[in-house]
Amino acid sequence: MKRSGPLLTLLAGLLLAVFMLSLNATTGTRSTTTGSDSAADAVSASPAPAVTATVTPSEPAPSSPAPSRSAVPDGDYAGRTDDDSSAVAVTLRDGKAVAYFCDGRDQESWLKGDVESDGGMRLTNKKGQVLTGTLAGKRIRGTVDMGQRNYGFTADRSLKPNALYRATDTVADTEIDGGWVLLQDDSQVGILKRDGRASPAPRIDPETGAVTVDGERLTARPVTP
Amino acid sequence: MTVDPNAATQGFPAPNPARRSPGAARYLVPALVASAVAVGLGVYGNVHDPEGTAFNLAGFSSTSAVKSWLATAAMGFAVVQLVSALMVYGRLPGPSWSGVLHRWSGRIAFLVAVPVAVHCLYALGYQTYEPRVLWHSLLGCFFFGAFSAKMLLLRSERLPGWVLPIVGGLVFSALTVIWLTSALWFFRTFGVTT
Repeated sequence: MKRSGPLLTLLAGLLLAVFMLSLNATTGTRSTTTGSDSAADAVSASPAPAVTATVTPSEPAPSSPAPSRSAVPDGDYAGRTDDDSSAVAVTLRDGKAVAYFCDGRDQESWLKGDVESDGGMRLTNKKGQVLTGTLAGKRIRGTVDMGQRNYGFTADRSLKPNALYRATDTVADTEIDGGWVLLQDDSQVGILKRDGRASPAPRIDPETGAVTVDGERLTARPVTP
Repeated sequence: MTVDPNAATQGFPAPNPARRSPGAARYLVPALVASAVAVGLGVYGNVHDPEGTAFNLAGFSSTSAVKSWLATAAMGFAVVQLVSALMVYGRLPGPSWSGVLHRWSGRIAFLVAVPVAVHCLYALGYQTYEPRVLWHSLLGCFFFGAFSAKMLLLRSERLPGWVLPIVGGLVFSALTVIWLTSALWFFRTFGVTT
């Protein structure tokens, strides 16, 4: 007679796994459906008035449907990747998050999505790049999947109110698009794109967001989801 | 179920040896199942787009904390496994019910580890971006393959005496490294929080 105990054990584990998966699949769909439109598109689609660049198309309506997401406090987080090659900034507002990954030379990514009440987040964009992270205390720990590579990162809560800035404008028929991560040690990591060509960004004034690009004075604005 | 599945099985020759499946199949089936489980989990974790989040348990600050505590519980039962196995094999003085203890602590450890693995594979996926994560992903898949092999090998009779200790030792070692690269790392990074 063959023993059935070990088989029953395996079967129980399998059933438990299937049960957990179905539970996950039914409760976890929210984050994938709402993260569909990318931050980059939301920003560039906004009509940029005059010289100063607008980052948020409009202030988020106070009646934004986020009754169950208030468990995660608002805040800005900034830090470096584990290999010290790049910087990551995440802005949390009302259960939503926007993040910027930037190596300061030619690689950047804007990501957007929801923050669950347990501090977990999955931010995406249309290029298929994904930031997954978990907020625990005053720190977000996670990874950025840039397609060809994954970067682990740790972002600590910013001491300043804002850690993530963006400026979009047109200077002398050249489209300017800059993004900045303001780190806790007052250093900055940013990329400035001129008609899509990336280069290291000049420093912005951390108080006002003022920055001079090709002789023209622009204002970078804090980015909010 | 009066037979102790953890007893050294070579001491009990099968009553009808001709009825047993011939030699290699006894190892081949568990080995194939183990490979299929390990590779299957790895492929799922790699191909499946990580969801980043899954449901949380009440009373815990994050799913990572829940997983760390569940993994620590599994690790505790795994230590019981090691000790009770030594008792079953007579290397340590133990009570007559050490076999029962071994079976049930193993079951609980496995069932506690399953939700952790489900969350890992569902929310995080198979990742390789740093050595700690690579080893954790690799051994996490290996663990469930090795555990499946152990369970299936228990059903075979007339195994050489060294097979179960070796496979059981692999399962235990894998779980230890998995715990060191996840729960211990979590507690050291974020503090011992719930």
